[in-house]
Amino acid sequence: MASPILEVKGLSKHFAQRRGLLGLLSGNAGGTIPAVDGVSFALAEHETLGLVGESGCGKTTTGKAILKLMPVTAGEIRYRGQDITSLSPGEFRPLRREIQMIFQDLDAALNPKMRIESILREAIGLCEPELDADGLRRRTYELLELVNLKKNKLANFPSELSGGEKRRIGIARVLAVRPKLIVADEPTSALDVSIQAQVINLLRDLQGQFGLSYLFISHDLPLVELVSHRVAVMYLGQIVELGSAPRIAHAPHHPYTSVLWSSLAEKRSREAFPGAAPAWGVFDFERPSGGCRFAPRCPVYAARGKPAECTDPHNTPRLREIEPGHAVACHFPL
Amino acid sequence: MSPTPLLRIEDLRTYFYSRAKQAFIRSVDGVDLEIARGETLGIVGESGSGKSVTMHSTLGLITATPGVISGRVVFHDEAPRDLLAGLDACTRLERRDGRIMSVEKDNRAWQKQVERNLAGVRGGKIAMIFQNPKAAMNPYETIGAQISEAVRLHTAFKDPAAARERALHWLEAVRIDSPRLRYDNYPYGLSGGMCQRAMVAMALAAEPRMLIADEPTTGLDATIQARIVELLEELKTRFGMTLVLISHDIGVIARLSDRIAVMYGGQVLESGPAAMLLEQSEQGHPYTHALLASMPRAKNVKDGGRLPAIEGEVLDTINVPRGCRFRERCQRIHDGIRARCAEQEPELVEVTPGRRVRCWLYQA
Repeated sequence: MASPILEVKGLSKHFAQRRGLLGLLSGNAGGTIPAVDGVSFALAEHETLGLVGESGCGKTTTGKAILKLMPVTAGEIRYRGQDITSLSPGEFRPLRREIQMIFQDLDAALNPKMRIESILREAIGLCEPELDADGLRRRTYELLELVNLKKNKLANFPSELSGGEKRRIGIARVLAVRPKLIVADEPTSALDVSIQAQVINLLRDLQGQFGLSYLFISHDLPLVELVSHRVAVMYLGQIVELGSAPRIAHAPHHPYTSVLWSSLAEKRSREAFPGAAPAWGVFDFERPSGGCRFAPRCPVYAARGKPAECTDPHNTPRLREIEPGHAVACHFPL
Repeated sequence: MSPTPLLRIEDLRTYFYSRAKQAFIRSVDGVDLEIARGETLGIVGESGSGKSVTMHSTLGLITATPGVISGRVVFHDEAPRDLLAGLDACTRLERRDGRIMSVEKDNRAWQKQVERNLAGVRGGKIAMIFQNPKAAMNPYETIGAQISEAVRLHTAFKDPAAARERALHWLEAVRIDSPRLRYDNYPYGLSGGMCQRAMVAMALAAEPRMLIADEPTTGLDATIQARIVELLEELKTRFGMTLVLISHDIGVIARLSDRIAVMYGGQVLESGPAAMLLEQSEQGHPYTHALLASMPRAKNVKDGGRLPAIEGEVLDTINVPRGCRFRERCQRIHDGIRARCAEQEPELVEVTPGRRVRCWLYQA
């Protein structure tokens, strides 16, 4: 791969465990919850990497760690070759502009007491403090045009906009600082299908226009397949499979990826594993202390008569390349 | 379709009066639907299209003071019964220049009438499961207690011990593992998928004739969604349940429904057999077609990797435009019908046997 814009190596984020129910459920006596546990991937310039997985698998935590919105437990994040994990907030500040995040919950991300105009101007001012009033206005209009919004929305408050319009303002604000890398966390999860398509088209156009790189976090599998060049599948804090979007969707090697894609409502999971209908009931999160984390839910594990290596705590499957550009963490890849 | 449908909704209108805007929010604006015995009707639509309000109205779940409901909802179990009977008498509308200016509603009488209309029906003959199971269940009671309460209220198992056994039976029927242990769990101790199952068990415990599932899979993970869909499918085959499924997820609707109704801006724009609507969408309402085309599926991608989006915003149900509600976003409107689309609202008419479409394209 040509020089990646972002490289993540062995990223871990462990949360101190709260006492009480959460502790009981996780069955983790160690006192920490490994929300992200040894995640490594690289993102090339102008590329979209999709990050999929069920809720609680650590997708958003990974995204937030990349933006240094929370301290990491271990690992290294390199932006254009520079290790940013050890940078102080002051040293990171110039880079913050280049790495931006589109947040999932825009009602929380847009200040409800600021008009759209002030929201955009604040961001423009941070990036280009030298602009005079005229320049500011021109740049504001330019941003609105980029996201296909009318000028008459500038005087509105965020609560007066529809979901799709708020999403566009969120994108315009991110674009205001001329970023290079955007972490898009569920950018369309609250939108209707018809509006979702508008936003997806917009993100794609902007990528072509400004050469943006996206880390696209979503639990919507068909959507991720469509917008991403490559896809990383996460399960309980680890990447279990990483490859090109069409291969991940149509020729997965990890049983979890296969289960995930076949669980799309239109298909039937029984067809994917005719021999081993997924066991009813085994769908609660179980976090095994060692070995493959997916084993308790794994159809291959069940079909092979529960081989010992899958649960061997000293033999956790590692992400290894099994064909060019396609890596999988499984002892028995499909 | 059998000659007498189990439930027939006729010209249902549910308006909410907004004091601030001095206007009505026309959430449901003239819906006609029929649900035959044993069939699954899927209602799809974007948020705010009125799909949930339609079914909530039929079950008297619209309690908001300014809510006004008109129309007829006939539930035909042994004898036909109008679930909305006598509600008109509880409201008084003040009109000026043809517009409704204010609403006076006798809430007590309204509530009494609703309870009279729905006695023995709501919860017993028609059960409902909701989008957010944790919010819909009582957090202070164990799921077992809540399910056996439904058993005692609605079935012949009145004895607490017998009701408990019956409740365990239903927990097992929805595939909750180790039901005896789970019986004593509180809703907060269950995962989202498990809680949704418990709610399905609670709805089934009343042995209803019809089940209304309002967004049963929304907010659940893909793998758990698939389990809930399989569970609903099993209810259809094992118990012959009549099911009304409300969802904005066309995938879920496509998999479970026998017939589909597509809603937009408080109206049904199209209804018909599921396969016909999904596979021959270009012969149906332009909205249905555009909705299917905008789904993020590989087959929908046009050159340049773009999805055919429906431009514009979802309809504002306060300032409902004259003419066709979908007109401004319609891509198939042409000069031959443009004037009519702008002036006159099309009726829902049968275009092929079983398929009804509300569009001037099909009405010469």
